[in-house]
Amino acid sequence: MRGAFLVLKKEYKELAKDRKTLFFTFLMPLLLYPLIFGMAGGMGDSDAASRAARPSRVCLSDPSGVLAPALGADPGHFTLVPRPGGDLRQAIRDQKLELALEVEPRAAALLARAETLTVTAVVDTSDESSRQALDRFKGLLKQEETRWVQARLKQLGASPQLALPARLETADAGDPGLYAAKLIGSFLPYLLMLMMYAGAMQHGIYATAGEKERGTLLALLSTRLPRNQIILGKLLYIFSIGILSALVNLLSMGFSVARLVASGGPAGPVAASGIPVLATPSTLGLTFLLMVPLGLFFANFILLGGLQARNTLEASSALTPGIVVVVLLGVFSMAPGIEKMAFLPYVPVLNVSLAIRKLFSRQANPWEYAVALGMTLALAALMTWLSTRMLNRDSALFKA
Amino acid sequence: MIQLTDLHKTFVVKDKRVAGRRRIEAVRGISLTVAPGEIYGLLGPNGAGKSTTLRMIAGLMRPDRGRVEICGVDAAREPERARALVGYLAPDLNVYGRFTPRELLGLFGEFQGLDRRTAERRGLALLEQLGLGGFAEVRMEGFSGGQKQKVSIARALLHDPRVVVFDEPTTGLDVLTAKAVLDLLRALKAEGRSVVVSTHVMPMVEAVCDRVGIIFDGALHGDAPPREILARHGVATLDEVFFQLAAGGGAA
Repeated sequence: MRGAFLVLKKEYKELAKDRKTLFFTFLMPLLLYPLIFGMAGGMGDSDAASRAARPSRVCLSDPSGVLAPALGADPGHFTLVPRPGGDLRQAIRDQKLELALEVEPRAAALLARAETLTVTAVVDTSDESSRQALDRFKGLLKQEETRWVQARLKQLGASPQLALPARLETADAGDPGLYAAKLIGSFLPYLLMLMMYAGAMQHGIYATAGEKERGTLLALLSTRLPRNQIILGKLLYIFSIGILSALVNLLSMGFSVARLVASGGPAGPVAASGIPVLATPSTLGLTFLLMVPLGLFFANFILLGGLQARNTLEASSALTPGIVVVVLLGVFSMAPGIEKMAFLPYVPVLNVSLAIRKLFSRQANPWEYAVALGMTLALAALMTWLSTRMLNRDSALFKA
Repeated sequence: MIQLTDLHKTFVVKDKRVAGRRRIEAVRGISLTVAPGEIYGLLGPNGAGKSTTLRMIAGLMRPDRGRVEICGVDAAREPERARALVGYLAPDLNVYGRFTPRELLGLFGEFQGLDRRTAERRGLALLEQLGLGGFAEVRMEGFSGGQKQKVSIARALLHDPRVVVFDEPTTGLDVLTAKAVLDLLRALKAEGRSVVVSTHVMPMVEAVCDRVGIIFDGALHGDAPPREILARHGVATLDEVFFQLAAGGGAA
C-alpha cells in the first residue's frame, strides 16, 4: 500500500498548492452556511416580528354596526380602512389591505331574534399577513359569539356555562427531541450522499481525466509504482475528499442550525431539543461507519468515469448525471413512510438512507443496519476490484 | 541492454467507413537490441508505431505478443522491476504545474524508491547540469516548453536508470535547448546506458545515433548505423531514405 499512499500524498500536495480550490472546498462552506442561515433566520424573525406588531388593515361593511365597535376597540390588531376603489380582491392581492369583511345589513335584527347572521370575509390565503388578519378576526368573532350566546342564555334565565358544555385540554405525549431527530434523520442521508458525491466529483475528475488531459499521467505510470497502487491512491484521494467535503459541509450546517435555534428561530424549542440527539456519539459514529463504504462506492464510480474518459469535459458529462441519480435517491429516501417498505433494507444505497434514518429516530434495527453496512461494503469492494481491473487495461489509460 | 523480440500490438479504433470498429496493427513483429553505451534512433512518420514501441519498452503498455527484456528482466513477468531500470520521457511537454521542480523531483524520487532527500539532491544536480538550477524553487505553471522539457528529463533520469527512453525529446525546443538535450544524450551514452530515441529531426539522428531503425506501418525497416543505411539506399541524407520508404509504402 506504500505506493497508494505516495500517490495520495502527491494528490493532496497538489491540492494544497491550489489555494482557491482549497478555499472553495473547505473554507467557503464554513463561511457560507452561517451566512445563509444567519441571514435567512434574521430576515424571517424580523418579518414575523414586524407582522405581529402591525395591525391588520380591514375594510368593513357593517350597516347595522354589530361588529364595528369590537373591531374599533382593538387598535392593536385592527385598523379600519375605507373601501378602496376598483376590484376589492385585486386590492387585497396588491396588499392595499389585508382583509375585507361584509356583515349582512339585517345582522342586528337577526342577532336580536337570536338567529344566525352571516359575515363574508375576503382574504388572500397565499399571503401571510392576510392569513394573520383572518386568524385575528376569527379570534375576535369567537369572543363576540361567546358574549352573544351568554347574553341570550342570561335572557332565558339559564346558566352562561351552557355556552361551554365541554373544555378540551391536551397534553403532548410526544418527545419533541425525537420529533426533531426524526426530521434531521429524514434529510441527513440525502445531504450526506449529495455532498459526498458532488464534493468528490470535481477533484476526482482533476486527478483522473485531468491527468490525462494535462499529459502528466504517463510520467506517473512510468515510475516503478504498480499500476493498481496508482489507481488505489487516486481512489483513496477521491474517497477522502468526498468524506471531508461532506463532513465540513455538515459541520458548518449543523453549527449554523444550532445557532439559529439558540437565537430562538422559528423551529425554536422543538429543534433545540433535537440537537443533543443529533450529537449522540454512537449515532454519529454509526452514521460515519455507513458513510465509509458508501463514500468508497461513489469514489469508485467517479474513478471509473474519470479514467475511462479522454478529457475532463467528457468525464464531467459522464459523471454529472450521477448527481441527479443521487438527488433522486435522496428525495426518495426523504419520503414519509418509506421505512415501512419491507424490501427497502435489501436495496443497496437506499438501505443506507433507511439505516441512518432509523438511527436518528431511535428505531435502529441491528439486523437492518448490519445488512446495509455489509451490502455497501461488499458493493464498494466489488467496485474497487472492478475499477482496478478495468483501469489496468491499456485501452482505458491510452484513449487518445 | 534492451532486447525486443517479435513485438506485436494491436488497437481497436472506431472507423466510420466500416460503420464499426477496426483493428489496427500498430506494431508488427519488431525485434531489436540496444547495447549498453549505444544510442538507438527510432525514425518514422506519425502513426508509424514509434511511440507504441517506446511505451512497451517503458512498461507503459503490454505487448499483445512478443517479449521485452530490460537488462535481462522480463517486463511481462516483473513489470515494476523492469520499469525501475527505465527512464522514460513522454513526447508531451507537460509537467505538474502547481509544483516547483524541486518538489516534483522529490515526489518522483519517492515514487522511484529513493528517500526524499536523496531525490532532491540528485534532482537539483540534474537541474544544474541542464542549466535550470536557478528555477528549482519556481512554480512550473509559467515555464516555457524548453524549461518543462528539462524538468521532465531530470525527472526521467532521477533514479539513475540503466535504460533511457526518450520520445521526441527535441520537438518544440529552441536550438540551444535542443543542443543541451543532444549533449545530455552523448553523456548518457558515455556513462554506458542504453538509449532509445524517437525523432523526426534527421540531423539529430545523424549527429548522435549509433544505429537507426526506421518504422513504417508498424514494421521495422532497416536496423543499422546511419551511414550503412544511407549506403544501402544510395542517398546522401536520411530524409531521402525516408522519402523513398514513404513512396514505396515502406517496401523500398
